[in-house]
Amino acid sequence: MPIGAYFAVSAILFCIGLTGVMIRRNVIVLFMCIELMLNAVNLTLAAAARMWGGADGQVFVFFVIVVAAAEVVVGLALIVNLFFRRGTLDIDAPNLLKW
Amino acid sequence: MELVLATAHALLAQGTDNLTTAPGETVASSGATAEAIVFWVAAVIGVGSAVAVILMRNIVHAALMLVMNLVAIAMLYLALQSSFLAIIQILVYAGAIVVLFLFVIMLLGVSRDDLLFETHRWHRVAAGVGGVAVAGLLVFGVAGEHLGAASRCGGQADPAVVAESTVTPCRGLDDALGANEQGSVGIIAERLFTRWTFAFEISALLLVVATIGALVLGRRHDPDASATGPEVV
Repeated sequence: MPIGAYFAVSAILFCIGLTGVMIRRNVIVLFMCIELMLNAVNLTLAAAARMWGGADGQVFVFFVIVVAAAEVVVGLALIVNLFFRRGTLDIDAPNLLKW
Repeated sequence: MELVLATAHALLAQGTDNLTTAPGETVASSGATAEAIVFWVAAVIGVGSAVAVILMRNIVHAALMLVMNLVAIAMLYLALQSSFLAIIQILVYAGAIVVLFLFVIMLLGVSRDDLLFETHRWHRVAAGVGGVAVAGLLVFGVAGEHLGAASRCGGQADPAVVAESTVTPCRGLDDALGANEQGSVGIIAERLFTRWTFAFEISALLLVVATIGALVLGRRHDPDASATGPEVV
């Protein structure tokens, strides 16, 4: 396969995640869409690593996975707190910082 | 799904084994065919399940579709000769992150999705159009120039085509993997513990901070919080 095919798949996956963030209002689904986008970028990095014939891109994927794990842990704790305070998972509900 | 994964790995291993033992026209093309099969299966499953993630009304189903998407991406990692990443993808994403998602969904008891698409129809249409436009831009602008015959990886491309093409050729990981006897794990470890050691240590710090942050956020300290929501035990 030409390496661009992998870039194309990851571009499509990224845009599906992006569209998901825009059309959904459930915070948990929004988080899943962020995971989709992170995974798409990981795929690009791994494909680029193969294109250049080095392992640096794969090391970046490793770091992105670590950061995604940390982000999910903190983010889901925030979501649980939000739900217990507001009683909803609607992303439009928390508006205390709105001017 | 595991069966697919195992078959994919076996096919790829067969392809690469043949490539390393007896490089020749027919053998190289059999490896390329195996890669193409794995690529198309994984790409279709991946894109289909990603669409399902954003369209499923029940968020438990969405989480399960996310697992399928992650497994498909692991298959693409295998096709990209990155078997270590494929294993890490399954272990960390499918094994830990999605389980955390499902755990929170069950804890909150919100699997029945009663909100939840963007309220204004016009916004949804605009989001869809915008997503397709960005996808088109990325595919034609970024991936487009690497879609030609000169960008085939690892000696699959015709040298004459590569020589007259202006795009960066795909070198493939065969040389790097052949030079390191530990294979995929070896080449990553070599870079991770030499050039990127500092980043590695910072990521350890990040994980500690995230753990402490989750502990602090998980504590109940607000005395009148029970007035607005159910009490956690």
